[in-house]
Amino acid sequence: MNLASIRQRLRPVAGETWLGLAYVLPIILVMASLVFVPLVTTVIDSLYRIDPMRPGTPFIGVLNYKNLAADSNVQHATWNTLVYVVLAVLLETAGGLAAALLLNKVRRGRQWLLAVLVLPWCLPPVVNALVWLWIYNPSYGLLNNLLKAVGLLDNNVVWFNDHNTALLLVALVHVWRMLPLTAIILLAALQAIPADLYEAAKLDGAGRIKCFRMITLPLIAGGLAIALSQSTVFAFNLFDEAWILNGSSLDTRSLIIQVYMSAFQNLKFSYGMALSVLAMIASLVVSLVYVLKVYRETRFD
Amino acid sequence: MRKLTLHYLGRAGFALAVLVLLLWSLGPVYWAVLTSFTDPRDMLSEHLSLWPQHPTLEHFAKLFGASSASQGNEVQSVWPQFSRAFVNSLVTSAAATLVTLAAAAFGGYAFVRLRFPGRDLLFGLVVASMAVPAYTVMIPLYRLMISLHLIDTYLGVTLIYVSAFLPLALWLMRSVYQSLPVALEEAAWLDGAGRTYTLVRIVLPLAAPGLIATAILTFLSAWGQFMVPLVFSPSLATKSLTVLIPEFVTRNYVDYGLMNAAGVVAMLPPVLLVIFLNRFLVRGLIAGATK
Repeated sequence: MNLASIRQRLRPVAGETWLGLAYVLPIILVMASLVFVPLVTTVIDSLYRIDPMRPGTPFIGVLNYKNLAADSNVQHATWNTLVYVVLAVLLETAGGLAAALLLNKVRRGRQWLLAVLVLPWCLPPVVNALVWLWIYNPSYGLLNNLLKAVGLLDNNVVWFNDHNTALLLVALVHVWRMLPLTAIILLAALQAIPADLYEAAKLDGAGRIKCFRMITLPLIAGGLAIALSQSTVFAFNLFDEAWILNGSSLDTRSLIIQVYMSAFQNLKFSYGMALSVLAMIASLVVSLVYVLKVYRETRFD
Repeated sequence: MRKLTLHYLGRAGFALAVLVLLLWSLGPVYWAVLTSFTDPRDMLSEHLSLWPQHPTLEHFAKLFGASSASQGNEVQSVWPQFSRAFVNSLVTSAAATLVTLAAAAFGGYAFVRLRFPGRDLLFGLVVASMAVPAYTVMIPLYRLMISLHLIDTYLGVTLIYVSAFLPLALWLMRSVYQSLPVALEEAAWLDGAGRTYTLVRIVLPLAAPGLIATAILTFLSAWGQFMVPLVFSPSLATKSLTVLIPEFVTRNYVDYGLMNAAGVVAMLPPVLLVIFLNRFLVRGLIAGATK
């Protein structure tokens, strides 16, 4: 058989279009009905008053958005969420980079150390939060007992009494769960760096720190940008940890908890939708902004 | 001499770093397991102990027992609820994994090897939807599910899981197919095998590691889901473990032993996956996060 006739037989067959459409039909159905249409509905409905407790669904324009701006609960939740994002991104990136550098050095048993590293990410977030709730317990928790045992503390502390401590502790549980993702992404980036780059730098007399700054950092910039945006988006969507550890308390209430409370506890559907639209846009913009920034600052010309 | 000292210092620092990593990752899990075997009286002691003084199966007996005693009083057994929620979690997670995997296996293949109008647009839209947080569509979904009478049904919860986890699965499967050589398929087509036959009998076996990785990631995501069942599973008909276990806390007093025992049981499926399928899991994570 010559090449031309092979090409002939490999050209798109008549049925290919239909077969392709048949293969993706379930995807189109599920995604359209459960994601795309609801997403558009959310945006449109946020301009109406949809409230099962009140008759009619009049068009109210941007009134929901105006009310959101004046809502002190929303302001609290926004501030808390920003704190979560900053803490999560800082701690996950620092800790994840340290873990990735360490794992990159490990020769024996790396597989098992990796398994240990990813374990927190694999567990149900709610169960993680419950375990930490017990650790943070003011009377019998591990944290108090541990600090007293090493002499850093004389009396038990009720950790969630203080607004800032509470935020930190919720963020810590989130970091415990999400750090493995950052570490894995950075480890993959580290392993893609050719070893002879370091040898060449050593021959040129570059020290460890210089190697890190001149080779490692620029070459993992892509991975770093992905890790940063993942950390941001996940911290923006923080719900489980804050909800389990401190319920609906304003001290630790995140934006998503505020959406949940507005929609499913106060039954102000369209008000919750307006807030969820804003949260989505904010999360997308923030992560996009510093993906671009990281790319620009660490790019090597 | 100085160099040797530095060498040993480096080794010690390295070992210390590994130890810190182990403590950080396993410490809380160990503490949960320990608590689930700790005698309730020891739990209330001010004294710090890092291993069980008087190990007991009391909490697990309470979880699995037909009748149950708490602080000397006969109380209602939690086993009927717990077993039901465990089955619910298992059914919805397994169903979501199977449906997602099937849709991603065929759809991912179509996006790589078959040509049809709107292919790239559709793929772009589906992948972009990964950036849409679940809660943004939660309220319209809730109203849709009510009108379809799918609230508190396996079908409803499973469908929502599929819509949430399908984009990542599709992304993973597409990269798996892209890395497979097309030559084998071409040989099969030349021999007169149909496209679907080729995909099922030749391509899917080759893509098995990718399929396993995708299945693990989907199952773990579904198993750990909290907000979806919180909204869509109001009764024990479909309530998941993740929603039931926190309810042990919000009663009059908190039974931390019971809570940790239940938590340990809920951790078992993910822990088993990490131990036995770790290779696939890490590969899937890397592929999902980077490509």
